[in-house]
Amino acid sequence: MERFGYVRAATISEALTFLNQPGYKNRPLAGSTDLVLLLRRNPDLCDRVVDISLIPEMHTIEKTGNDVIIGASASFSEIISNPIIRETGPILVEACKTVGATQIRNMGTIGGNVANAAACADSLPALVCLDAMARVLTPSEEFNWTVSELVISPNKTRIPAGGLLVSLRYTIPPSGTRGVFLKLGRRNAMAISRLTVAALGRLDENGRIADARFVTGSAAPQICRFKDVETSLLGQVPTPALMLAAGKLATEEMIRLSGYRWSSEYKVPALAAMTSRALSRVFQVREPSGEVV
Amino acid sequence: MTDRQFIGKPTNRVDALEKVMGTARYTADYYLPGMLISRCLRSKVPHARIISIDTSEARQIPGVHAVITCDDFIDHGRFGFPIVDMYMLAYQRVRYVGDPIAAVAAENEESLQAALKAIKVELEPLPGLFDPRQALSPDAPLVGEKPRDAEGYPHGNLLIDYIVRQNDPDAVWKECDLVLDKEYTTMHQEHAYIETEASLAVPWPKSSGVTVYACCQSPFLAKNNIIQTVGLGSEDVRVIQPYVGGAFGGKDDTMYQTIAQTAKLALISGRPVKMVFSREESMISSYKRDAMIMHYKIGAKKDGTLMACQFHGIVDSGAYAAITPFTAWRSTIHAMGPYRYQACSVDTDVVYTNNGFAGAFRGFGNTEVCFASELAVDEIAYRLNMDPIDLRLKNCLRPGDTTSHGQKLGDDVALAECLQQVRKLSDWDRKRKEFEQGDPARIHPGELRKGIGVAAVFHGMSLGAEGKDSAVGTLRINDDNTLTLTSGLTDYGSGSRTVFTLIAAETLGINPSRIHMLRPDTDTAIDSGPTVASRATVLGGNATQVTAMRLDAILLNAAADLFHCQIVDILRDGENYIGPNEEPASFDKVVDHARQMGLTLSTEGRWNAPENHWSFESGTGKPYFAYHFGAQVAEVLVDTGTGKVEVTGYWGVHNTGTVIFPQGILGQLYGGITQGLGYALMERVDFDKGFIQATNFDEYIIPTAMDVPEIVGAFVEKPFSDGPYGAKNIAEPSLVPAAPAIINAIFHATGRRIQNLPANLERVLIGKDLRKEGSNTACKLGLHQV
Repeated sequence: MERFGYVRAATISEALTFLNQPGYKNRPLAGSTDLVLLLRRNPDLCDRVVDISLIPEMHTIEKTGNDVIIGASASFSEIISNPIIRETGPILVEACKTVGATQIRNMGTIGGNVANAAACADSLPALVCLDAMARVLTPSEEFNWTVSELVISPNKTRIPAGGLLVSLRYTIPPSGTRGVFLKLGRRNAMAISRLTVAALGRLDENGRIADARFVTGSAAPQICRFKDVETSLLGQVPTPALMLAAGKLATEEMIRLSGYRWSSEYKVPALAAMTSRALSRVFQVREPSGEVV
Repeated sequence: MTDRQFIGKPTNRVDALEKVMGTARYTADYYLPGMLISRCLRSKVPHARIISIDTSEARQIPGVHAVITCDDFIDHGRFGFPIVDMYMLAYQRVRYVGDPIAAVAAENEESLQAALKAIKVELEPLPGLFDPRQALSPDAPLVGEKPRDAEGYPHGNLLIDYIVRQNDPDAVWKECDLVLDKEYTTMHQEHAYIETEASLAVPWPKSSGVTVYACCQSPFLAKNNIIQTVGLGSEDVRVIQPYVGGAFGGKDDTMYQTIAQTAKLALISGRPVKMVFSREESMISSYKRDAMIMHYKIGAKKDGTLMACQFHGIVDSGAYAAITPFTAWRSTIHAMGPYRYQACSVDTDVVYTNNGFAGAFRGFGNTEVCFASELAVDEIAYRLNMDPIDLRLKNCLRPGDTTSHGQKLGDDVALAECLQQVRKLSDWDRKRKEFEQGDPARIHPGELRKGIGVAAVFHGMSLGAEGKDSAVGTLRINDDNTLTLTSGLTDYGSGSRTVFTLIAAETLGINPSRIHMLRPDTDTAIDSGPTVASRATVLGGNATQVTAMRLDAILLNAAADLFHCQIVDILRDGENYIGPNEEPASFDKVVDHARQMGLTLSTEGRWNAPENHWSFESGTGKPYFAYHFGAQVAEVLVDTGTGKVEVTGYWGVHNTGTVIFPQGILGQLYGGITQGLGYALMERVDFDKGFIQATNFDEYIIPTAMDVPEIVGAFVEKPFSDGPYGAKNIAEPSLVPAAPAIINAIFHATGRRIQNLPANLERVLIGKDLRKEGSNTACKLGLHQV
């Protein structure tokens, strides 16, 4: 690892000043769990880190009206134990629980997970499922993108040079909404996800599907809701057959988005199974495998 | 059963406190004034001829104190055992990615990196050999050193071949009702010791000699390698083993290179020189468990009687022999598993390739063949509609049986007891029935299915006919009446220091806290061979017992003199000696009296293992003086939607003889099974055109605590007459049967036989492995990471 400079910002505006100070190749540092690895592989990545981990307003998690705002420097552990998120966005809690191990969850931040935008980032599918918005600041501008818009492709976002992701915001889903997050890795902790699925939904008073949101991670270059899957569900009475069909649609959507890759022969059946399992749990139907929810 | 004070009683490890407090110092923790840091320039190609190495520019860089190549060693630093084919630094050719070419010692990282960059190496690429199946074909690139037409060598890439012969299987097949004919493969495995390779060489005044602190399998082998390649006298070299952070067999050849390099750099520079590998350097350059291709043909009668076994194995030794000839010999001896056959033939070919290089790894050749043979035997049981444990019980070796090698076994054999106990402990019969509900042929995708599987193991004790097998322990009573115990065998973390301490305490009838066990040091301990082959407890334990008995005899003599009685009249009560008038004399009093008598309170005890013999020509003999037996059962939950396998229960029963250190033996069992679980399900070293793909633990994954179920261990303590207090070994055999037990359980759950390791998500779900096309990036990057 090469030598690099370090400055600590006390406020968001100070962070923006540091990040835009000419003569430096700056990089924001929050939990450092990704940055340390990146620096080790590529010492030329930056010559100064701007520590944003101690900016108080970037740690706040608060409810404003019907929205929940999460400061970008909130750690996974902070999110997991936060009563507001546990109540209003349990799917995000479930996703954050699957990140790394305790030490990484204590250090790693939700903003870092989004801004690093790894294809396998565990919080992304849950955030996209919640239709979360990302607030990005530069010294002169403010952008509000959906997380799905923000992430262009693996490790690539719309955040401009010198810009800073300061918070994430989601609207609390209506009551009766259930969410399920499933992660598949090669081991049970410290695992890079092979596939993740996040599903959120609600039935109307007639027992028909009134809301269905479905996202998969590690499956497509851009993280997005799978509209075909969702459309197939809306207005329907949930049945095991419907969930099986949705699983098949998810795999078709994955192939359409990512093409047929070296891993597709495996990912197609695995995603089908995970999709129908997650949706069955959301809509509380018997799982196609016969498992009782 | 005799009443024992310390053996078999729960106790703390002698080094527990230092390790928990973080005060135990490992080689990398040492910093000395004026110390230089060092690193090797390593090959970034799998196979090339070295045209020239120019170090002149590197030597001029400020802060650089020494730059060495093979020319700085005697005979280019040629070394190796049992086959001499390696160099301390590459000579004439580089044969794998990571092969060290030159080494630099410098004052700081900047100078070191600049010097490594400034070394000019001209290489002429040679075609690489990456498929062990092609190694012996006439047009295969020659990786070995012998020309193809060399006398006695059918092919220059054939490192060695071994056989076992018992009658002729071809004459038996027709008597069999079922003949299974299958191929199995295993992958290389990384040792993943927590402490990477580290050596610190400290030159003596005027560079007249050198002291090296380093982690390695044997400080004595390290010393001999320095003597031979650096050219020092035996009196000029001392190798000290600090605490070692795990080895698992992995700190042999790579460490001897590192040790000799730092010794040479220290002698040239006149400064202490330390070399510590980054994880990437360690994974790229160190040897692995060999990969094997195994072809089994096993015949059985309808009633489950195993009749004949035919085996052909190809061992990928990679670029160098290292210790692979011995691992492959162990594979050969264990290929038929712990069963009786009427006929058996085993053929193992060990070949060179440019896939890194292979060497010792816990299990040592048995891990590979046990995986394959236990899968084969399991399949036979299912095909014959028999319970897998019943089939094993019907055929397993029992006391007095003769093995396929022609060796008559003693009464220490207890495999049947292990199988019966593990059956009971795991609730095998009930679970097997319960898990079979529903037709495995009609598994619904997404169903979670349970399965239970078994595997049995036998494991030859210690080195066997590999070589002379003995160990030495010494004891000395110090002025303050504490005792110093030495052994030439190392405790890598396995707990042998505690085992030896308990044996000495028990034998002498004194409190273990009086005894301080030193770590091996070539100046204070006596060469006891390498700490390998699960030999510490039996070899080192016996040597400790012998030396303690000698010291005990001296002290009894003194007590008799003190009490004016005969030795037979003396009793012991705790540490006290009780004379005929029932007056107690404390240990201290007896020791003081012994001193007054002018007795020397220092002893040395050697224990020689019983004789073995092996005929390499006829493939028969007595390969090991005894065997360890064991049986393990795994319970799995398979997600048939994703191929994810969860090991939900694990039971291991081993024929260990007397348990000396209860927590230690369980620690070995848990650790071995965990390493076997990784081997079974997730660990993979992929070589792509010679380039290793995973160079750190982000991509080379090993089990975490979240992947390991509760493990229930039990021991059949049938005393072993040749073991200290009746003890056998445990280290390796705890690992060996884990992979087949898990894979057999996956079959029970899914009906899918996985014949290639690891049984990853893809193999479990779709029956085949999938891999992204490999690249050389990780290696090239890894060799620059610090």
